Amino acid sequence: MGTAVTLVKDSPPGTAPARLGAPGAVRRRRRGENLAGYLFMSPWIAGFLLLTAGPMAASLYFAFTDYNLFDAPRWIGLDNFTALFDDPRWQKSVEVTAKYVVIGTPLKLLLALGVALLLAQSRRGQAFYRAAFYAPSLIGASVSVGFVWRALFSDGAVVDRTQSFLGLGSGGWVGDPGRVLYSLVALTVWQFGAPMVIFLAGLKQVPRELYEAAEVDGAGPLRRFWSITLPMLSPVLFFNVLLETIHSFQIFGSAYVVSNTTCGPADATLVYTCYLYQKGFKESQMGFASAMAWMLLLAVALVTAVLFWSQKRWVHYEEDVR
Amino acid sequence: MGNNGSVERRTVLKAAGVSVAALGLGAATGCGGSGSGAGDGTVTIRYAWWGADERAKRINRSIELFEKKYPKIKVQTDFQDYVAFWEKFQTQAAGGNPPDVFQNAVGFLRKYDKRGILLDLKSQIDAGNLSLKNFRAGVEKVGQVDGKQLGIPVGSNTMSLVVDEKVFEKAGIQPKQGWTWDEYFAALKRIHDTQKVAGDTGYFAIMYLYDLYLRQNGKAFFTKDGLGFDEADLTEWWTDGYNRVKAGIITDPKRVEQDKPKSSLSAGHAASEFTWDNFTVRYTAEGDSTYGLAPIPTTDGKQTGQYLASLMLSASAHTKHPEEVARFIDFMVHDPEVGRIMGYDRGILATTEQFDAFKPSDAPSKAIAQYEQDVAAAGVLGTITPHPAGADTVESAFLRIGGDMSQGTTKVSDAVKQFFSEAKTALAV
Repeated sequence: MGTAVTLVKDSPPGTAPARLGAPGAVRRRRRGENLAGYLFMSPWIAGFLLLTAGPMAASLYFAFTDYNLFDAPRWIGLDNFTALFDDPRWQKSVEVTAKYVVIGTPLKLLLALGVALLLAQSRRGQAFYRAAFYAPSLIGASVSVGFVWRALFSDGAVVDRTQSFLGLGSGGWVGDPGRVLYSLVALTVWQFGAPMVIFLAGLKQVPRELYEAAEVDGAGPLRRFWSITLPMLSPVLFFNVLLETIHSFQIFGSAYVVSNTTCGPADATLVYTCYLYQKGFKESQMGFASAMAWMLLLAVALVTAVLFWSQKRWVHYEEDVR
Repeated sequence: MGNNGSVERRTVLKAAGVSVAALGLGAATGCGGSGSGAGDGTVTIRYAWWGADERAKRINRSIELFEKKYPKIKVQTDFQDYVAFWEKFQTQAAGGNPPDVFQNAVGFLRKYDKRGILLDLKSQIDAGNLSLKNFRAGVEKVGQVDGKQLGIPVGSNTMSLVVDEKVFEKAGIQPKQGWTWDEYFAALKRIHDTQKVAGDTGYFAIMYLYDLYLRQNGKAFFTKDGLGFDEADLTEWWTDGYNRVKAGIITDPKRVEQDKPKSSLSAGHAASEFTWDNFTVRYTAEGDSTYGLAPIPTTDGKQTGQYLASLMLSASAHTKHPEEVARFIDFMVHDPEVGRIMGYDRGILATTEQFDAFKPSDAPSKAIAQYEQDVAAAGVLGTITPHPAGADTVESAFLRIGGDMSQGTTKVSDAVKQFFSEAKTALAV
């Protein structure tokens, strides 16, 4: 998603990416070597064409058709796209997804950054803590965790009882249209390990002499964080924001499992992909579902573009600081 | 029609993998998968159904009997819960590779007949491989569409009213055949006032109940190709429903959601619920009270609008072994021993051979059998409402939008408009 460019910018001259770009280097190679190269790549190329490019092209075509899986697709132009905007459930799914992204992503990144800051300091058992905090991300995407979550947040289950014990009201989250989405937010926040590891790597990159110089000048911990850590970390932060936002838009598994495959109650967990799935595979409206998929791609591309545009204002690369 | 809410982990995993599996492996297994003939004349047929583990155990025992009688026919099985089953089936059917024989319900007959997926079993009946004799109360007609026999019933069921007998008794209410809706709602109000519990769990969003009400008034939920009622009808039905929720006569919809997967009736948050009679075993299993079956309220003091519906066995039009499939269905619906094994798991046994062979020992099963006999004796059973292609989608839209309306998240007028718009799309697919 263009992040590779950002990373190249970071790398000092003389590292691998820079050398690959050297003019003439590729051209001088013999044709036989090229062929061998493509042969080695062929499993990937075949996979890309058959499993990614092909289906994408097909779905682009279906997006402009009325297609029920059984009869031949019928070209209807932009009808699917206009129907989207007239569909209250589509609007609801956009609303639910936006809410999930806007609330879940910042919370997750804040937690990841906070824990990364704590773990960046050397202390005994450091490796254990890192592994322990990272573990949820490893198992988080699985269906079984969805089931555990459903069990935790049901009426009369652990969360409910703890809540009543603390006098915070009662009733499960899973059955309450007003709260069930927050159980999904909690699930994604709990999986903060992946961005945390990236933050940790970023923190290691910050030159120690900057802190030492600041300390000599009498800067306190807060000041050092705002003036050194955050600016030096901003490329990594940007990378994490981008990645997590894109991931969040694609939420499916947890919503599908926690809602017991209904994306309810009262459409409260009707995230975008869940509705797409219902339209395509339950209601046999593949054309409509394809149009939805392309709208999602457009939306994600738009958000990505906005983020890239905004990075001029808040992302500092090393050369700017020096 | 046989949706038993609970979903097991295994089946969800399967459901999640269905699209991938069907697209990826379908190409590889498509040819050999749909029943293959080995060199010695042994034939394999694929049989799929939805239901819980209990049903699977019973069916597997029945299949053992079948394979003993027909050693040259092997049956390969596959089962899931209701929702996952139909998702997988649709993908298989679209890929031209549905199971040779499968469980079916009336809501899906026209949908898959339209796409040429269902085998017309008439020819097999004429050839003597499958008997259409000895079905109780003409229930074999449930499987007939436009002169074709697309499904063979395995058991019958009918819509019923389940009541918490203790609460009804304490409130001094005795439901009787032919009681009216006014009497029913007056009873609910009395229960609410005297017993401090809501009367019903939310009748207004159940498509099959609204169908009965419409039939009592000379209409029906569906015609052969569309809806059988108009926006004014539904506006009245839902406005009344909404007002009754507000008045506390009907359980708070939030409470109903919280109680899931239990029914609010067995959770003690309501005194009655409309559902299929063969589902009623669950209440005794879930709740502490005693539960009984009561007559459906009427408009004119006589007609309940009820009919016998049924789970069926259907065959794929793509099957390479129609004769073997027909013999299998015949065995499954007529063999007395199979009847004893299956019991009322899929409704009251459809053929007299099986019905006579099975003597229920538990109280709920006895009550269900008694209920269907009473309904038949009251002379209120009519012919089943036709279900156009897309009826399944319409049913889930009715349930969902009715729920939104009752929660107050959607105004009644908007909900009605939305339902008609979604139904139009669904019935046109």
